[in-house]
Amino acid sequence: MASLNVRVVSPIKIVFEGEASAVVAPAWDGQVGILPGHAPMLSLIGSGEVTVDRPGGGSDTFHVAGGVLKVERDTVTLLTEYAGDEAPADIPANTVVLAEDVE
Amino acid sequence: MAGDADVKRRIKSVENTRQITRTMELVATSKLKKATDRVYSARPYADALQEIVGGLYSPALSEKYPILRRPDEVKRAAVLLLTANRGLCGGFNSNLIKQARNLLEDLRGQGIEAELHIAGKKAVAYFRFRGEEISTETVDVGDSPTGDDAEAIIAPVRARFENGDVDAVYLISSKFKSAMSTPPYTRDLLPITGDENASSADVYILSPSGDMILERILPAYIRNAVYTALVENAAAEQGARRSAMKSATDNAGDVLEHLTRTYNRARQAQITQEIAEIVGGSAALE
Repeated sequence: MASLNVRVVSPIKIVFEGEASAVVAPAWDGQVGILPGHAPMLSLIGSGEVTVDRPGGGSDTFHVAGGVLKVERDTVTLLTEYAGDEAPADIPANTVVLAEDVE
Repeated sequence: MAGDADVKRRIKSVENTRQITRTMELVATSKLKKATDRVYSARPYADALQEIVGGLYSPALSEKYPILRRPDEVKRAAVLLLTANRGLCGGFNSNLIKQARNLLEDLRGQGIEAELHIAGKKAVAYFRFRGEEISTETVDVGDSPTGDDAEAIIAPVRARFENGDVDAVYLISSKFKSAMSTPPYTRDLLPITGDENASSADVYILSPSGDMILERILPAYIRNAVYTALVENAAAEQGARRSAMKSATDNAGDVLEHLTRTYNRARQAQITQEIAEIVGGSAALE
């Protein structure tokens, strides 16, 4: 079965890099799920949990806040201002996109 | 012998100096390691961001967003110079300052007004001494720069560009090629130059829209460019300091060797002379 190549990158480090069977990320307007074969997409990221399902079972979860998600040819790149195991203590300014910001 | 004590004192003093430079070399080496790690871990984000921004750029958008504007004619430019807060790192600061001076002269030679924005005590001290007007100065960036540091430095410059007060922004910092090679270089920070041919906006599902994504991502992109430059600069500074302190330590070693030889020779001469005197004295008694 096809799998996704996932990278979660923050300005200071690569938080996750590897294979995945599915990714669930907090987009600006709600959760977005990505499976292999997804169409090319660019989406803004809000803040919340990213879940990466591993091909062999099990999953990894991180907190992210703000940024952009790019999907292209089964490669998922998530650029985020903050990424870590814990929810950010103070959410970086100008990073959280709320639905009401968008007309 | 009077010279003896002098030489001995100098040997002691050079030994102390060597001890200090050696310690600074070791400290710089350990800081360099950490700073280099930061440089490498900052690159994937910068590269990916560059790709996204380059792909989304389209000329139509520059009408809407002041940050994307591309002035036809540059009347006024801002030069943003990043140096270290501390010295004792060889030609590191002076190379950067020279690069900035050349750029300022170059711009002014073309009839472009140029203003100077500085981060780093060394450049502030230099340009203040020369009576150059400094538009903004930042001197509180430490060994491990953060995104907030970058934001504080770039925010006033970005605002001036968006308001149309300046038409171009140049960033001068050191490129961290390796610990030994850290040449100063000038980067055109603004206006943003996207690759129009590579525009991927048609192919992608854009959520919420290309405009919205750019609006959020561009400030982050500019800030990250400054952040990357700060991180590379910090690493380059430590690399330069390590090299400078290594050659200072080596030089101190050479001086010590020379002084020790002088001292021993003087002592030998004194002993020889004393023996000659004793032999001469006893010969006179016979």
